[in-house]
Amino acid sequence: MENIKLNTLPVPTFRWLGVNFADKAVQHIDAPSAEIDFSDGETVRIDVRDSTHINADVPDNSTGTLILYCDADSEIRLSGSINVGAYSDVKIVQIFNGAASTVGGLRIKAADGASVRLVQLFIGGGQNISETDVTLSGYKSKLVTDIGYLLSDNDKLDINLIARHAGKKTQSEINVKGVMNDESEKTFKGTIDFLCGSSGAKGAEKEDVMLLGDKVQNKTVPLILCAEEDVEGEHGASVGRIDDELMFYMLSRGLDEQTAIDLLARSKISSVISKIDDEQTVKRLDSELL
Amino acid sequence: MASLLKVEDLNVTVGQTELLHGIDLLIDQNETHVLMGPNGAGKSTLGSAIMGSPEYTVTNGRILFNGDDITHQTADKRAKKGIFLSFQTPVEIPGITMTEFLRNACEQVSGKRMKLWDFRKKLKATMQLLEMDEEYAERELNVGFSGGEKKKAEILQLLMLSPRLAILDETDSGLDVDAVRTVSKGIEEFRRTTGGSLLVITHNVKILDSLSVDKTHILVSGSIAENGGSELVADVLQNGFERFINKES
Amino acid sequence: MAEKIKVDDIDRSMYDFRYEDNVEDHLTTGISPEMIEEISKEKNDPDWMRELRLKCLDIYNKTRMVNWGPSIKELSVDEIVTYIRQKNRMKENWDEVPENIKETFERLGIPQAERESLAGVGAQYDSELVYHNVRKEVAESGVVYTDLESAMHDERYKDMIKSHFMKLVPPTDHKFAALHGAVWSGGSFVYVPKGVKLDIPLQSYFRLNAKGAGQFEHTLIILEEDSYLHFIEGCSAPKYYKAGLHAGCVELYVAKGAKLRYSTIENWSKNMYNLNTKRALVEENGSVEWVSGSFGSHVSYLYPMSILNGRGASAEFTGITFAGEGQELDTGTKIIHNAPDTSSYVNTKSISKSGGASTFRSAIVVKENAVGSRSSVNCESLMLDSISRSDTVPVMDIRTKHADVGHEARIGRISSDAVFYLMSRGLSEEEAKAMIVRGFADNVSKELPLEYAVEMNNLIGLEMNGSAG
Repeated sequence: MENIKLNTLPVPTFRWLGVNFADKAVQHIDAPSAEIDFSDGETVRIDVRDSTHINADVPDNSTGTLILYCDADSEIRLSGSINVGAYSDVKIVQIFNGAASTVGGLRIKAADGASVRLVQLFIGGGQNISETDVTLSGYKSKLVTDIGYLLSDNDKLDINLIARHAGKKTQSEINVKGVMNDESEKTFKGTIDFLCGSSGAKGAEKEDVMLLGDKVQNKTVPLILCAEEDVEGEHGASVGRIDDELMFYMLSRGLDEQTAIDLLARSKISSVISKIDDEQTVKRLDSELL
Repeated sequence: MASLLKVEDLNVTVGQTELLHGIDLLIDQNETHVLMGPNGAGKSTLGSAIMGSPEYTVTNGRILFNGDDITHQTADKRAKKGIFLSFQTPVEIPGITMTEFLRNACEQVSGKRMKLWDFRKKLKATMQLLEMDEEYAERELNVGFSGGEKKKAEILQLLMLSPRLAILDETDSGLDVDAVRTVSKGIEEFRRTTGGSLLVITHNVKILDSLSVDKTHILVSGSIAENGGSELVADVLQNGFERFINKES
Repeated sequence: MAEKIKVDDIDRSMYDFRYEDNVEDHLTTGISPEMIEEISKEKNDPDWMRELRLKCLDIYNKTRMVNWGPSIKELSVDEIVTYIRQKNRMKENWDEVPENIKETFERLGIPQAERESLAGVGAQYDSELVYHNVRKEVAESGVVYTDLESAMHDERYKDMIKSHFMKLVPPTDHKFAALHGAVWSGGSFVYVPKGVKLDIPLQSYFRLNAKGAGQFEHTLIILEEDSYLHFIEGCSAPKYYKAGLHAGCVELYVAKGAKLRYSTIENWSKNMYNLNTKRALVEENGSVEWVSGSFGSHVSYLYPMSILNGRGASAEFTGITFAGEGQELDTGTKIIHNAPDTSSYVNTKSISKSGGASTFRSAIVVKENAVGSRSSVNCESLMLDSISRSDTVPVMDIRTKHADVGHEARIGRISSDAVFYLMSRGLSEEEAKAMIVRGFADNVSKELPLEYAVEMNNLIGLEMNGSAG
C-alpha cells in the first residue's frame, strides 16, 4: 500500500529545508468512527486511547464544546470531520498528553456566522503530527485558535494548520506559544489562505517560541496566500532568547535568571490552558503536569 | 558602620561612549536623597548602573552596598540585598499576572515561602492604599496599563518588596495631579513603615513636596556638579540648572 | 470608493526597441558535449575549465527540475540558443563599440551614467562583454574589473579564479546552476585589494537581444580584508515572441572586515525566464548588502543567498518585486547564520496587479554554532486588484537557544482612508493611489544609487500617474 504523506505545506518551498512534509508517512487505516451529538450548550469529553474518527454535524444556532483528550500508550490516529452550522458557536479542545505518538487530522467547515474556537495543547509524547484544516466558507464565519506546546527530551512535533478564507468578511486568528527543551524538534506550519471572493476577510497569526534546550531544532513556517485584494493579513514570529530589558526588569525585582525563565515558560503554557475553560479538564491537566 | 550605599569614583560607558565620569555618592540608612540635573545628564544611567543593568559597563570605581562590593553582581543579587529601581518605562510581561510575578519576587527577595492567603491580603491592602482597582492583581503585568497605572504598579512592587534602598527614576513624570498625590502617598508609606532610604531621580519638584529631603545632588554632563541639602532643591526650582552648567564649563 | 482604480502597467516601450541582429555564428540549439567542447575551444578555455563545463553538463542531465515555485513547463532549454557571440571583441573605447550596440546602450543611458558617477562600466550584449572601462585612478589602486574570460588567462588572476569559480555555487546546487556551469559565457571579474575602499560604484549592464537567447554570464567578485565596493548590475532585454532564458551566476567573496553592496535592477522583457543564482560568503565582521529590484521577466526564481561564515558577519537584504500581467515573480532571500554573533536584516515589498503573481520566499537558518545571532525579517505585500496573487512563504530554522529571530509580514490593499485623505487635499483618485504605491516602494528605491532610482522612476514612478499620464 502506498504511503500517505502527512502535513503537506500548501505551497511547497526549498526542498533542503525539509518542511514540505512531515518526516514520517503513514498507511491508510479504517479507524472506528464516532458520531458526536452537539446538544446545545453541553460539553462532550472524550478520552482518546485508540485510533478514532470523529464525525460531527453541529446544527444551526447551537453551542457546544468538544474535548478530545489523547492519552494513549501506543501510537494512535485521531481524525475528524466537523461541520459547524450557521450561527453556531463551538469550541474544540485537543490535548495530546500521552506517552505515545499521534497522527491527527481534523477537517472543520464553518457556515454563515459560525464561530469555531480551537485549543490545541501538545505536551511531549514522542512524535506528534497534527493537521487541522479549517474552511471558513460562510459569511462572517470565524476561527480563533490557541496552540501551546511544551516539548522536552527528543519530542518531535509537526503542526500544519490551515485557515482557508472562502466566505466574505471571514476572520481567523492563530496564536501559538511554545517552549522547547533538551533536544526537541518542532515544525509549525501555519497558513492563512485568502481565496478569491473572500473580500473583507482578516487573518492574523503569531508564534512565540522560547528555546531553552541547547540542541533544539525549531522551524517556523508562517504562510499567507492571497488571491483577493480586499483583505488584511499579517503574521509575526518571535523565536529565541528573552529580551534583555525584560530580563533586567525581572532580575531587578529579585528573581534569579532561572526563576525568571521558568516563570515565563510556565506563562506560555498556562495562557493556553486558560483558554480551555473546562474545570474538569484543567484539573486533570494540572495534576498530570505536576 | 558602613554606609548603605557607597559609590566610589564610578565611570560608566555604553558602547564606546562614557556617560558617567568619576561619580561619588554616599547614602546612609533612613535618608532621602534627590538626584537632579538637566535632560541627558546621566541620572537614569546612574540609577540603572546601581541596579546593575547589563546595558552599561562600569569601567572604573566601585559600588558598595552595606559594605559589600556589588559592582559586578547581577541585578537579582542586588535586589536580594535590598536595592529597588522603579523603571521609567516598566516592561510589559504578557502571560504573567501581577500576583504571580510579585509572589515569586517576594519569595525570592525575602528568601521564604509566603502563604498565598497572607500574600493576597497584603497585596489587596497595598493596592487599596494606592487606589488601584483590585482587578489589576489578576491582569498580565503592565500589559495594557496606562502610564499612570504602570507607575502605580511600580510603587506597589516597591511596597511589597520593602527594599532598603529605593531608586525612583522619574516616577512622577507624565502623571496628573491626582496620580502624583497617590504615588507620593505610596512613597511616604514606604519611608514611614520600613525606614528604607530613597534616591529620587527627578527634574521637577512636584513629588518632593511631601518628602523631607536630606541631601541633594546635582548631576551635569555625567559628573556631580554640586552636593547640598534640601535648600538646593529650592535653588534649582528658582534658578534652574544654569549656574551648574556654567560652573562646569 | 468601491470602484477599483487602474494603475497602469509599467510602460515598457522604452525598453522594447531593438536592432536587427548581425550574428555571425549561431550555434545549433540544444546542448551536446560536442557543443560544450566547441564553446570551450572558441573561448580558448584552460583545460580545467573545459573539464568543468563537461562535468556540469553531466550534472545538468542528471539533476531533476525544481518541483516548487512557478511553472517552467513552457521553457524549453534545448531550444534556446545558448550561445550567441557577436563578432566584435571587447572594446575599451566607447567609440569603437559597433554602432547598433552602442545605440542600444546609449538609449539605456549607460555611457552617460559612466561619465557622471561610476568608477567603471562593463556592458554585456547577448553573451559577450562588448565594452569595458575602468577609471584610471581606480585601476591604480589595484582594483581589477575585467571580463572573466580574459582574466582566466592572466597570470596574475588565473589561480584565484580557478580556486573560486563555482565553488560557492557548485553545479550540484540545482539544475540551472549546472546548466550555467556548462555554457557560461561573459561576465565580470572584480578584485578589490586589502584595505581599498571604492567610494564610487562599479557597474555592469547586461542586455539580451537575439531571439530565444540564453544569457549565462558569470560574475565573480573577491573583496580582500577591510575593503569596500558597491557593485551595480542592471539587466534588460527587448521583447521577442520566443521565450528567453537567463541563468546567470553571481559569486561574491567578502573577506574579514570587508563590505560589499550589490545592487540590481532586473527588467528583462516579460517573456524571459530568469533563473539566476546569487550567493555571498561573508567572513568575520564582513558584511554584504543586497538591494534588489525585480520588475521584468515572465517567470523569476531569485533568492540571493548570504552565508555568514565568520564571527560578527552581517547581511542586509532590501528588495522590491512588482508583478504585472503575465508575470510570476518568485523572489526573496536565503540567509545562513553559520558563526557566532552574526546578524541579518531583511526588508521586502511586493506589489501584484493585473493578474500578476508575486511570491516572497525566504529561508533564515541559524545553525547550532551561531550563538548570539540575530535576524529580523519584515515583508509587506500590496494587492492592487482581485485578479492578482500574492503569497508569502518564509521559513525559519533555528537550532540554538542563543539566538533572537523575529519575523513580521503584512498583506493588504491600499487603504481607502488614505486615498480619501489625499483626495480631500485635492488629489484625484488615481494620483492618490499612485502616490501611496510610490510611498510603499520608497524604502527600497531610496537604497538605490541615484541613476538607478531614476531608472526605477522610469519603471514605476511615471506609470503610477495612471490614466492621467
